[in-house]
Amino acid sequence: MNRLTGLKLLCLTLALTLGLAAGCAKKEVGQGGDDDELAMTESERQAAASISNGVIYFEYDRFDLAAQSKETLSRKAPTLKQFPQLRVVIEGHCDERGTEEYNLALGERRARAAYEYLLNLGVPASQMETVSFGKLHPAVLGSGEAVWAKNRRDEFKVFKPR
Amino acid sequence: MKGILPDLRGLIPLLALLVLLPPAVKAAPLSVQVVGAGENTVNLLQADPTGGSGRAAALRKAVNDNMSLIPFIRIVNPAGIPGGAGIASAAGEGVDFKRFALAQVHLLISAGWQGSSQVELRCFSVADGRFMFGNRYAVGPAEKDILDVADTFCADFLEAVIGRGDFFRSVMAFVKSDGPMKKDIWSMKPNGRGLTRLTNMKGEALSPTWSPDGRRVLFTHIDKRSHGLGVCDTGSRTVQRVRFPGNTVIGPAYMPDGRVAVGLTDGRNPSIFLLGQSLQKERRLDESSAIDVSPSVDTSGSLMAFTSSRLGSPQVFLKDLRSGAVRRISREGSYNTDPSISPDGSLVAYARQEGGGHRIYVHDLITDQERQVSFGPGSDEKPAFAPDSYFIAFMSTRGGVRQLYVTTRNGGDAKRLPTGPGDASFPAWGPATRR
Repeated sequence: MNRLTGLKLLCLTLALTLGLAAGCAKKEVGQGGDDDELAMTESERQAAASISNGVIYFEYDRFDLAAQSKETLSRKAPTLKQFPQLRVVIEGHCDERGTEEYNLALGERRARAAYEYLLNLGVPASQMETVSFGKLHPAVLGSGEAVWAKNRRDEFKVFKPR
Repeated sequence: MKGILPDLRGLIPLLALLVLLPPAVKAAPLSVQVVGAGENTVNLLQADPTGGSGRAAALRKAVNDNMSLIPFIRIVNPAGIPGGAGIASAAGEGVDFKRFALAQVHLLISAGWQGSSQVELRCFSVADGRFMFGNRYAVGPAEKDILDVADTFCADFLEAVIGRGDFFRSVMAFVKSDGPMKKDIWSMKPNGRGLTRLTNMKGEALSPTWSPDGRRVLFTHIDKRSHGLGVCDTGSRTVQRVRFPGNTVIGPAYMPDGRVAVGLTDGRNPSIFLLGQSLQKERRLDESSAIDVSPSVDTSGSLMAFTSSRLGSPQVFLKDLRSGAVRRISREGSYNTDPSISPDGSLVAYARQEGGGHRIYVHDLITDQERQVSFGPGSDEKPAFAPDSYFIAFMSTRGGVRQLYVTTRNGGDAKRLPTGPGDASFPAWGPATRR
């Protein structure tokens, strides 16, 4: 992307978000709601459940995929390719021990690891998004390795975009 | 006035002041010594006010409330003074300072009211009874005016004692939760005055940073599918949300020229990029094949502290943005993050993971020495240097939920900042208002 095109895109994004986000003290910003999602058919719902099922887990401060995680991802790929109208958001999460900003980066790497593995399995990039929540959204509350191990994870959320 | 009580950690801290008073309070420039303060602590007492104004009690309380936020100050209970806290004269004549010395008071503040619209506030060294500084303040009729005088006096007090008065002249942004998946940006003065919600958005706001002119606060914003860079105009209270390719926005930091350093993803790893004043992506600020996040830039714009995993675990590094040279700052521990460089470029504060939580350390860039300045319990994270390069705000779970605390570059008893009900995190100092 050349600089001029990037600038145009930025201006467009600014214009769009300005329209949505006026009045920060009084008015909520409408981004990220469900407005951009379509209702799924029964078969799509079953496919979405199949893709969402199967969280993958990571070691502390690591983002490399374990063999079991690769198997889990390999089971998701065919379904994603079979339903190109669906999109998956790969969420990267961390346990509570690190600090917020570094954990956001680590969660991004964890989400990216799954993204790249699925890409190598032939899932189109256009069907995938990644987002990191760091340690903001633990799956299990509490402390101790048993809890932390369940929170160092990638989750897979499926939706049908407009 | 400059650097008078630079280090209160010693058993006999020295306080040498040259004070110029306004003509209304007649005093020649003085050199004053205060001795005998305990380690990290100055015991302070306000004498009973003179002049009989009905507003005196309110001002006394407001000054005490302010002073109780200063980590090296302990407010002495007037009930412990032999014969009480009354004084013969607010100007100091005939005051028996020995009574206060017996109660371990180091600094005595007097308030001499003239009617209800004018007050002279003075500070004395109890050890030798010498006048340190004082000012005459006009007090408007509103309750708010009392608080304004307290803030101004306390700023003058800090200016005289440590050479830096910005604490009570500053504004802070921080994050408050509004539910499990909703966090917004708020602002206030460090003493809790002017508490204001700046954003009200779906999703979670983190990591605020002030523009050098105080007109904008940038922050990371995370909704259910994306990261964005939130841009809040503090005057109109409007917000823009800017997204970037890669869908990652971590820990923005304003630079002195109005550009922004921020963690974005361009490829495999979150890296620190420079954004122009219109927030267009200009270039990567450092090249590495690891995670690089959490930039913090001094007011010269030439030094940037940041977190990087380039050596395996996260550590704090410093980049000279002129020469390009990068050096590691944190030497101990396997997890050092959340750097904040002091505006004067002399110190870097950061959080080190230890045992069950994190603790704040300060690294002196001149001497290369490190000092621990927070001691828990719980977890102490996200240190933020004040504009004066002296005070450090941070967030801590020591009281259960996250709250904001303040300590100094030398450590001392951390004091909780009043942020209202609920949790508070990610302190960010705005520019100080100069008189």
